[in-house]
Amino acid sequence: MKKKGILFYGSLLLSVVLLLPAQQEVYLSIKEGMPAIPLAIPPFIVHESSSNTQEAAEILHQTLASDLKYSRIFQELPKSYYSYIRPLNPKQIFFKDWETIQAKILFVGEVSNDDGKGVIFEGKIYDVKAGRGIFGKRYQADRSLLRFAAHKMADELLRMWGEQPFFTSKIVFASNRDGNWELYMMDYDGYNQTRLTFNRIIDYMPAWSPDGKTIAYTSYQGTNAILYLLEVYEGKRHEVTSKGTSFAPAFSPDGRRLAFCSQEEGGNSEIYMATSEGKGIRRVTFNKATDTAPTWSPTSRQIAFTSDRGGTPQIYIMDAEGSNVTRVSFGGTYHDAPSWAPTGDRIAYVSRVDQIFDLYVLNLRTKQIIKLTEGNARNESPCWSPDGRHLIFSSNLSGSVQLYSIDYDARNLQRLTSRGENKLPDWSHQ
Amino acid sequence: MFDCIKEAQGSIKQEGISFKGGHMKKVLILSLACVLVFGFMLSCAKKVEKTPPPPPPQVKEQPQVEKVEEPAPPKEPELTEEEIFMRKSLEEINQEVPLQMIHFDFDRYFIRDDAKSVLETNSSWLKKWDSVQVLIEGHCDERGTEEYNLALGEKRAKSTFDYLVSLGVSPDRIKTISYGKSQSLDPGHNEMAWAKNRRAQFTIIAK
Repeated sequence: MKKKGILFYGSLLLSVVLLLPAQQEVYLSIKEGMPAIPLAIPPFIVHESSSNTQEAAEILHQTLASDLKYSRIFQELPKSYYSYIRPLNPKQIFFKDWETIQAKILFVGEVSNDDGKGVIFEGKIYDVKAGRGIFGKRYQADRSLLRFAAHKMADELLRMWGEQPFFTSKIVFASNRDGNWELYMMDYDGYNQTRLTFNRIIDYMPAWSPDGKTIAYTSYQGTNAILYLLEVYEGKRHEVTSKGTSFAPAFSPDGRRLAFCSQEEGGNSEIYMATSEGKGIRRVTFNKATDTAPTWSPTSRQIAFTSDRGGTPQIYIMDAEGSNVTRVSFGGTYHDAPSWAPTGDRIAYVSRVDQIFDLYVLNLRTKQIIKLTEGNARNESPCWSPDGRHLIFSSNLSGSVQLYSIDYDARNLQRLTSRGENKLPDWSHQ
Repeated sequence: MFDCIKEAQGSIKQEGISFKGGHMKKVLILSLACVLVFGFMLSCAKKVEKTPPPPPPQVKEQPQVEKVEEPAPPKEPELTEEEIFMRKSLEEINQEVPLQMIHFDFDRYFIRDDAKSVLETNSSWLKKWDSVQVLIEGHCDERGTEEYNLALGEKRAKSTFDYLVSLGVSPDRIKTISYGKSQSLDPGHNEMAWAKNRRAQFTIIAK
């Protein structure tokens, strides 16, 4: 029954394409311009009047509301509307009231004290028109993990609507806030920035494995720029190669392969391929021009990359084995840093015009190009969110280089970092 | 575990609600993982601190070198230029910057005419000290993108390498690396700073 409700809201299309007998590939596609679902999320009901619990309820409410707003699936009703109707009583909800203020979905949150250890957070989702509950979740959370509990709840909501959840995803990036370039990670909204490496030289260009457990990156050590795999939660590090300057790693979305750039004797950057464990390295591009910045299609069968084989750096697509090379960027003299959207239909990239870098999104189906950023700045290194509705990138818009996020339709620009300089972001796949 | 977050099971009853199990485990693993990352960071930090600084082996012999310049006692023979050189540490030699850096045009990696004479001087020095091995670092200015700049830095290092080899320096003595735009010499955002930052510079790595 509820599945029909999801289709009615219609922001998701699932098409299953059978390519090989035992292999299914799922494409997500976003219907652009769908109106967001009007959601009422009145202040959470607090069962103890202690200021601690009250404060926890506010953090949970604020985090969840901003997650849902960020999703572009839901649209929060103006808070003033709540004063037009009877106050919320979770034991007896007057759905007609909520209908009159045009809420389609009502989120009722209740927070109580958990014997001083933390809080219990209970969230229930109601279909206002049908006048009944859709689902509920209950979390017991330590006070230091309130934001995480709210993100989990928001993820459940997206999952319920058939969307790709991403509120607990992580962004890895390079920052010089502590002196030299090291790797850090943070929540999607810029909270919980944590340092990951301590090499005191340069750690650069990180990329997540699709399971979110491993980061590939370049570390400058002595006379080498070594490509490493770092098991983030185990703290183990493995060398992939120390030959040449190896950089720009990208794991295939199926988790099987790792593409990266390195050089033969010629000092010319080429694209190489290894297993996701960094073994069995082989070269996949062979020409005298620079080939760099590989990014995978969501099917793991194609790679978009930058090459100056035509005289200027442009974006090309090829099969992962190196065949069927096609140029896809035109009308400029300097394009780089392609990022293939998880929806499969779009590639974001950087275009340099008169020393200004702006981000563009190329729709591979319609060949339409959207300019995402506008400003006298260097906007660089775009990377898509797991749901393909947002991008993170670096920009010197405010003077120093910082990380920003922006939506696929150029709305909702937000700055996420401020300490030191921060760049080369990579958004985990889940 | 103190900082864990658990989903209590089945305590909300609603029509059409289904609860997915197994979250608790996941979350426990997540928080355990956080602790592990933190532990890893700590251990890394400790490790780095423990690493002894590279011992300056010739430091003790320094006074002898200085003595040479003083009115030397007649019995001690004067050190030759080569002996003085061999007694210096790599850091000391690099501090003297025996090999001058060269600069490049915007977006380019060919060796400019003004760089050729610099490389000729550098190649004579390398031929004089023929046991020396050198690392050529290619750098770019901030007006290129990260990925393309790393490739460009490598090409700048390589064209410098090729020019030195054409002047008779053995290719076995030279290594190359690219830093892209990660190590600016001048943090400015103007033509002068950019011109300075587009460079190939040399580090002596063995002698």
